[in-house]
Amino acid sequence: MAVTEDSRVVLLLCSRLGLPASSEVKPLTLAEWNAVATKLAASGLGRPGGLLTCSAGRLQTELEIAPEDAGRIMRLLDRGGALAIELERLESRGVWIVTRADDAYPRRLKDRLKARAPAVLFGAGDPRLLGKPGLAVVGSRDIDETLQAFAAWIGAACVQAGRVVYSGAARGVDKLAMGAALDSGGQAVGVVAESLERAIRTSDAREALQRGDLALISDYGPDSPFSVGVAMGRNKLIYALADFAIVVASGSREGGTWAGAVEALKHGWVPVFVLNRDGVPDGNASLVQEGAIPFVEPFPEPQELWRWMTEQSAVPVPAQGTLF
Amino acid sequence: MPVDALSLLHQMLGPHARFRPGQIEAIEAVATHRGRVLVVQRTGWGKSLVYWIATRLLRQAGSGPAVVISPLLALMRNQILAAERIGVRAMSIHSANRAEWDQVESALAEDRCDVLLISPERLQNERFVTSVLPELGGRIGLFVVDEAHCISDWGHDFRPDYRRLVRILQHVPTGVPVLATTATANNRVVDDIVAQLGSGMTVLRGPLARPSLRLQNLRIAGQPERLAWLAENLGKFPGSGITYCLTVRDTECVAAWLRQKGFEVAAYHAGDDESVQRIELEQALLENRLKALVATTALGMGFDKPDLGFVIHYQRPGSVIAYYQQVGRAGRELERAYAILLNGEEDDRIDDYFIDSACPTSEEMSAVLRVLEPGDGQTLAQVLEQVNISRGMAEKALKLLDIDGAVGHEGTRYFRTPNPWDAEAYAERAARITGLRRAELDHMRAYVAHSGCLMEFLSRALDDPGAAPCGVCANCQRKGFTTRTSGGLVAEANELLRIEEIVITPRQRWPAGVFEKTTIPKDLQNAPGRALYRYAHDGWGKSVHVGKYVHGRFDDELVDAAGELIRDRWKPEPAPEWIVAIPSLRHPTLVYNLAERLAGRLGLPFVPVLACTIEVPEQKTMANSAMQMRNVQKGLSVTGEVLGGPVLLLDDIVDSGWTLTWAGWLLRSNGSGVVHPLALARATGRSA
Repeated sequence: MAVTEDSRVVLLLCSRLGLPASSEVKPLTLAEWNAVATKLAASGLGRPGGLLTCSAGRLQTELEIAPEDAGRIMRLLDRGGALAIELERLESRGVWIVTRADDAYPRRLKDRLKARAPAVLFGAGDPRLLGKPGLAVVGSRDIDETLQAFAAWIGAACVQAGRVVYSGAARGVDKLAMGAALDSGGQAVGVVAESLERAIRTSDAREALQRGDLALISDYGPDSPFSVGVAMGRNKLIYALADFAIVVASGSREGGTWAGAVEALKHGWVPVFVLNRDGVPDGNASLVQEGAIPFVEPFPEPQELWRWMTEQSAVPVPAQGTLF
Repeated sequence: MPVDALSLLHQMLGPHARFRPGQIEAIEAVATHRGRVLVVQRTGWGKSLVYWIATRLLRQAGSGPAVVISPLLALMRNQILAAERIGVRAMSIHSANRAEWDQVESALAEDRCDVLLISPERLQNERFVTSVLPELGGRIGLFVVDEAHCISDWGHDFRPDYRRLVRILQHVPTGVPVLATTATANNRVVDDIVAQLGSGMTVLRGPLARPSLRLQNLRIAGQPERLAWLAENLGKFPGSGITYCLTVRDTECVAAWLRQKGFEVAAYHAGDDESVQRIELEQALLENRLKALVATTALGMGFDKPDLGFVIHYQRPGSVIAYYQQVGRAGRELERAYAILLNGEEDDRIDDYFIDSACPTSEEMSAVLRVLEPGDGQTLAQVLEQVNISRGMAEKALKLLDIDGAVGHEGTRYFRTPNPWDAEAYAERAARITGLRRAELDHMRAYVAHSGCLMEFLSRALDDPGAAPCGVCANCQRKGFTTRTSGGLVAEANELLRIEEIVITPRQRWPAGVFEKTTIPKDLQNAPGRALYRYAHDGWGKSVHVGKYVHGRFDDELVDAAGELIRDRWKPEPAPEWIVAIPSLRHPTLVYNLAERLAGRLGLPFVPVLACTIEVPEQKTMANSAMQMRNVQKGLSVTGEVLGGPVLLLDDIVDSGWTLTWAGWLLRSNGSGVVHPLALARATGRSA
């Protein structure tokens, strides 16, 4: 995917690409970038690319910011050469980049997450999968055999329903659902919590990526190691990319799955279903109390899954107005 | 107080210096307008002056250091000193100065470096990207691309590393200036560079002809005649110069001959990266302590010696533009300098070899890629065990796949990326480049045969709008050097070529993956051996070819020559007491018959204790060490009783040396004394 000049500016300001670990100057937080983006849109500079030819003085006036903030932006923008080297390296390793300034940025993330939509997404595989209708499948890492079987069933069912599986690419529910989707000839999108560069190197993932059946994405730098913060933060992407979500297994009032589901319910990004049958963890029942729709036996035929989920839920209204 | 470009020029070159046409325009385009510029000017015009001054001005305005990407070490060393006069501190990082990298890194961290010179390969080097680059804080104030014609695969010297460089430059945001320079780009190459680096690029072009240079082409058929010509004429040329050869071997042969004839000359080639020695040799030439360096094109394009008196080509290069570039180094500040091109039939074969072995086939590329598909990465040695291609070709394939983004590397492991790789597109591209090389060769042949002005021919090849007859070349003047040499010189040169000592260095290690332990115990290794000739289709090696493939019997002259070598020159110690030969199912009597005759000549017994167990493919079809070793191991064993004394191990043609190594190991393991290998010829195709 071609990186536009606007995107390069977003990368310079919001990512760590080409920035030494020891650097005193820190990239803008999402909130800081939102503030700059808002002023930028209203200023004479117009688009992010306009910042590249701007002096510190003009930056201060146009964006109505303090001299030290203008200085920080100038220093971040000053590493275009290193960014170019890093972009080329990532590209040749099979990693693409899309920013909020790109048309190719997933519409749903902007619409649903608004100011919380990550400024930059890193990915591998076919980026067009990110716009396809699909089901988010989430749940714990450690689950019993019955739940493992269900995770695989729902992954395969999704394919039969002609939909994509969105998941977290972690051990347990995520991998089972995604694996089943791919094995039955379908497609999957994984939002990884570990280093994207590593994730795409395993031969199974690579083959599916090459076939165009799998996309792996991350809103953190492609070489970032696993962290709980990253793992939690990625939940909103999984939900916001999908049409529906299903929680296979959740801890009660604890753990990433619970937090992610509650967050999704609170914001109403997508209708959230939760598996409700004998042997599910307590968290599943608690999620029903939080507003999740029970997914109960008898399960719909896979071909009927989408119609059934549509009937069981109300479609949320997309909001207006987006930022770079 | 900020200084301007002119005062910087004065600081560098003195108060009366003036900018040459185009220099100030280039400096302003880069330093003031921060744009992208392509400068096409002849060697010695002062391209480096432009980027030193531009860097100084940009640094003054607060920009980060400049990064100069150049394939040449010579340029780097020569010009760093000039930059210091205007306070521009330049440092370089390349494969030969690893010891200095730490210093460079700390200089970058402390902002004590203004220009970082790197070779294009650095851009895909892990340490550079992960460790050096961050020290720059990402601040690159200017990109300079030296020898920018290497970007274009229409150019005579397209380099794959430059493709990565182009992609990087395409990602460089507005406001970071780019200066690309070359002395050898015709219109097609210029257009291609502009298309790849951005249409907003300014092109600054100057005249390329060199008025002081006297060109002449001399048709001299064989090696002995050319050596004789050099010995006869080298002393007639003014000052010091360069003699270019196409292969490393030839540089050494020519240098040895000229030294023997009393000239102060030295061979210069990339060899094993002995860059310290290369620096000394360049220095000796710069200071006219040598009459000539006998060099491969490793003596770089940027080698900067304004009073270079002559460039003699011992063989014909493959392209007119490459030729122009090489002779363009002579006579920059002399009234009269010479460029002599010796040529003849034998050049065609060398050129064919270079063209055909230039890039891996798409089948070879695909085979390497297939090996990398399963699992998450393999080393080069592992790849070689599974694909029958030479190590050099496998390295090339991996590098090209890396540049194509199909393969990545981390440490010594190569891994497949999810990026697709298009074998068909590669094959088309490779065919196009091969076709282009052939067209260049035809053009070179036309130059050699050209009866009009030679400088005009070169200028036209570069689309120089000012191309016109020079009036000083041998064709314009209708006079020049003759091909005549004094009596006896040719015969003397012929003798030198005949008795050239070719040592077969014993192998000390098995290829990886064949045995558990790779080291061959000292007492099971061969002693250093000898080959009589280089295997060739002409000259002395021809008789070996004719014996093997035409007559099926080696001539008595070869037996005499082998006997003479052993008795008079080689004198192996401890002296062999018996002879053994490498057997062959394909040519069962060829070497055995030779061994019997040689044994008679030396008065030693011929004891054939080695046998072929099964018919295996010809060893020369095995392309790398692991494959070759496996093949020999399968096909060769000991059958009779091995004698205890030192032994002469005979074979007709030695190539990789694995047959001799394995045979020697078998003999020693079965109780023989020291093994002295002897071959009639050494094949050199792969290692040329």
